[in-house]
Amino acid sequence: MKFSKLFLIALSVSLFVSCSNDEEDNTPKGVYDNGFFILNEGTTQGTVSFSSNDLTSFTKDVYSTVNGSDILGRYAQNIFFNGDNAYIISGGANNITVVNRYTFKLITKIETGLLNPRYGVVKDGKAYVTNANTYSYENAATGDTDDYVAVINLTTNIVESKIDLNATANRVVLKDGKLYITDAYNDKLLVVDIATKKLDAPVQIGFNGDCIEEENGVLYILKGGFGNSSELVKVKISDKTTTKITFPESLSGAGFMDIEDNKIYYTVGSSVYTMNTNATAASTTAILTSPATYVYGFAVNDGRIYVSQGNFTTDGKAYIYDLTGALQKELTTGVGTNGFYFND
Amino acid sequence: MTLKKLFAFCLLLLCQIICAQSDSINKLKEVVVSDVNLKKYSSSQSVQVLNDSVITKNEALLTDLLNFNSTIYFKEYGRGMLSTVSFRGTTVSQTAVIWNGININSQMNGSTDFNTISSSDYNSISVKAGGGSVIYGSGAVGGTVHLNNELGFYKRFENNLKLDYGSFNTIGINFKTNISNEKWSAQIGFSKNSSTNDYKYLNLYTWKGEQRWNQNGQYDIITVNANVGYKFDSKNSLKLYTQTSNTDRNTSLISETETKTRYVNGFNRNLLEYDGDFEKFTTNLKGAYIFENYQYYGNISSNNFTYGKTESLITKADLGYQISKSTQVNAIFDYNKTKGYGSGVGDHVREISSAALLVKQELSDDWKNEFGIRKEFTDNYESPVLFSLGSSYQFNKLYDLKLNLSRNFRIPTFNDLYWETGGNPDLKPESSYQAEIGNVFTFKNISLTQTFYYMKIKDLLQWIPGSNGIWSPQNTDKVNSYGAETLLNWKKQYGKNYFTVNATYAYTASKNEETKKQLFYVPLNKVTGSVSYSRNRISAYYQFLFNGFVYTRADNDPTEIINDYNVSNIGIDYDFKFLHTFKLGFQVLNVLNKEYESLEYRPMPGRNFNMYLTLKF
Repeated sequence: MKFSKLFLIALSVSLFVSCSNDEEDNTPKGVYDNGFFILNEGTTQGTVSFSSNDLTSFTKDVYSTVNGSDILGRYAQNIFFNGDNAYIISGGANNITVVNRYTFKLITKIETGLLNPRYGVVKDGKAYVTNANTYSYENAATGDTDDYVAVINLTTNIVESKIDLNATANRVVLKDGKLYITDAYNDKLLVVDIATKKLDAPVQIGFNGDCIEEENGVLYILKGGFGNSSELVKVKISDKTTTKITFPESLSGAGFMDIEDNKIYYTVGSSVYTMNTNATAASTTAILTSPATYVYGFAVNDGRIYVSQGNFTTDGKAYIYDLTGALQKELTTGVGTNGFYFND
Repeated sequence: MTLKKLFAFCLLLLCQIICAQSDSINKLKEVVVSDVNLKKYSSSQSVQVLNDSVITKNEALLTDLLNFNSTIYFKEYGRGMLSTVSFRGTTVSQTAVIWNGININSQMNGSTDFNTISSSDYNSISVKAGGGSVIYGSGAVGGTVHLNNELGFYKRFENNLKLDYGSFNTIGINFKTNISNEKWSAQIGFSKNSSTNDYKYLNLYTWKGEQRWNQNGQYDIITVNANVGYKFDSKNSLKLYTQTSNTDRNTSLISETETKTRYVNGFNRNLLEYDGDFEKFTTNLKGAYIFENYQYYGNISSNNFTYGKTESLITKADLGYQISKSTQVNAIFDYNKTKGYGSGVGDHVREISSAALLVKQELSDDWKNEFGIRKEFTDNYESPVLFSLGSSYQFNKLYDLKLNLSRNFRIPTFNDLYWETGGNPDLKPESSYQAEIGNVFTFKNISLTQTFYYMKIKDLLQWIPGSNGIWSPQNTDKVNSYGAETLLNWKKQYGKNYFTVNATYAYTASKNEETKKQLFYVPLNKVTGSVSYSRNRISAYYQFLFNGFVYTRADNDPTEIINDYNVSNIGIDYDFKFLHTFKLGFQVLNVLNKEYESLEYRPMPGRNFNMYLTLKF
């Protein structure tokens, strides 16, 4: 389905909160330690690329290199980690492939209970994965209300329960036992209490909310995309009050956002901008403009900015910059490169 | 179809067998084809005709027939699934399919799915390489495939029945009856081809170690044809062609855990044609109504679907005049109104008119020239002036030289123009210039056709993401394509032994003008071959297909390819000579049990079997 891509506004970025590893242990736990994975959603198959942190070693298709002819499935959407495992979500295949994050050896697959899974987070041995289920263009009756969170027991790798959201859902972050979920077609920020598996009162943020990050008790949500005007909405978790920064017209259609060291990095078109988390206005001075004509993945981590070019008939590109915007490396990745995941 | 129903159907036919016995005397046979221009205006191009005897030796669907017998390259999303073509290195919508003279490529997506067409519904299928937009309109860039029903005006009552049963519960029922005399001619046909299509993927296992197989690949294609002709007198005749078809398919899975989907599409075509032949002046008037629709079920276990429909009204007047002994002209006017509606495209009407002039000049028996020019008029897009220029010269008995130069186009589809969101109403048609030289050598029983072509295509339509992130079609790429096609036929009789050899070879270099890279999914080499032998009541045949490797990425990454493959089929049948024909046949397909696929992660079946019974009475 070529056109499904147009509906599945598959914008992607790494959201997982990287756990601070023990600093004393520097011996690599496997070939794929001390580096980062680049996820390629693919048109027929998702693939995962890997680069070492020193950018000297690169593998274009890690999963096939390690696991032979087995396949991830279509539209690889997101990777999340737990302990020594990495979990690769393939939306079109309704599955999650569980591999060792250091060797990338296949451990198992979670193949039931998922319907168009999108993004996942982990808390206390359980994964919480948003599922888009059906869409309203094909299912007018319940397409907008059938999304759910699959609760996966990571010991048994079984979906043990579902939390119905009665709305559309996409990206998710976790903070203090609550899930915060955005979706561009939902004007509300959904709040799920994972203890009771119930929805708390949602927060009105308006449509087109996509990237979401949590920093110091505040949720930052970037709104934009598809030629819309751009906004940054801040939600104070303690009292659910919202404030917003309206971007100037020249920054319409903002794409992605990531937060690193109290700085918000965001993309508009091919350019990356930054502003402080306490800023009251958006910066209109780009720190870099990448050759990527269709930015499809973005992350900022440990002193570097990662931008990907999403290509669908040919291999994609990943561009890696330092924080001043100087290009450090260009990598040729797979089809539909949509995210960066750091494995330290 | 259950066995019970099958029996009932056979019983029904038995009654007809009894009354059909008496007819065997053939008088003067006059056969009328609907697509007159295919014969009249193609002497400077190569036309390969696949008749009944070739059609019956192949699997039921048109993909198999053309894959094993022509230079056209096919991509199949698994056996029986969506099947698209590339002819002379062009895109899927640059091969036009012509049904009795009418272009039937989908108005929605511009192409034809060759696995929705059962070959036996037609009397002959012709493959014309090269441009033909002057006569056939949009999409006739790489070439055209002609599905023809021929009406015979002589006394006869003939019935054909072919029953197939093969691996993966593949069942074919094809029935055709011809009833005619000097005034009336009727041809009524029915075909049903279905399969559970649950074949094993050779040497492929799931991560749990289970054998992988083609899940959710079942298909069922039903077509009913009824064609009637009436001759008022030697000058005036009227013909009506109708066809209704429904293809109900699920779509095979790439991963076992994917949501199972289903795609149902159908069409209804009606064509009324008047022919008037008044010595120097000929007139051919056509009126056609074509309806096509699809329903896509995103999940087979729910009733939700998305859909699209188009209705087209086509009127065409073709007026011919014989200016002199050697020169004939045809003026063609047509008007075409299409209404398209459905999920994602809204509701739109498109009107296109066109005028064309064709000239044919036969300076001698050996030297023929053709010229054609056409211009379309529509509010939807800027239409280029199309032309075609050709000459054929027979130097001697051995050698015939053909030259052809043409400009062709492919118009934007309803999806391209109106898809919400992204459809771009400001598109230009894709257009191409094409030049070819054909050498035809005929020596005794051997005929060898070799054609060299060069094609420049511009304004190729491609869906690309815009600066605002919305995917939208744009006229972007330019492609240069050149290559050579070779067709070989050899027929020989030694006493009671008949041999036939057919072979084709295509070399296709189709390159993006800017990047100089070969287009992905266009093989540099394709070879087909077949050998058949018959003696008395027995006939046996072998056919062979070699598809060169294809790149699967636009940048020609050498690690991202589909390997070349060769597939062979063998078959044998015996005619018991009960009735006019009573053939029992047996085929082994992919006899060498090769692993192959024409698209990534879409494995095709290994060795499989088919048996058939052909009755003529």
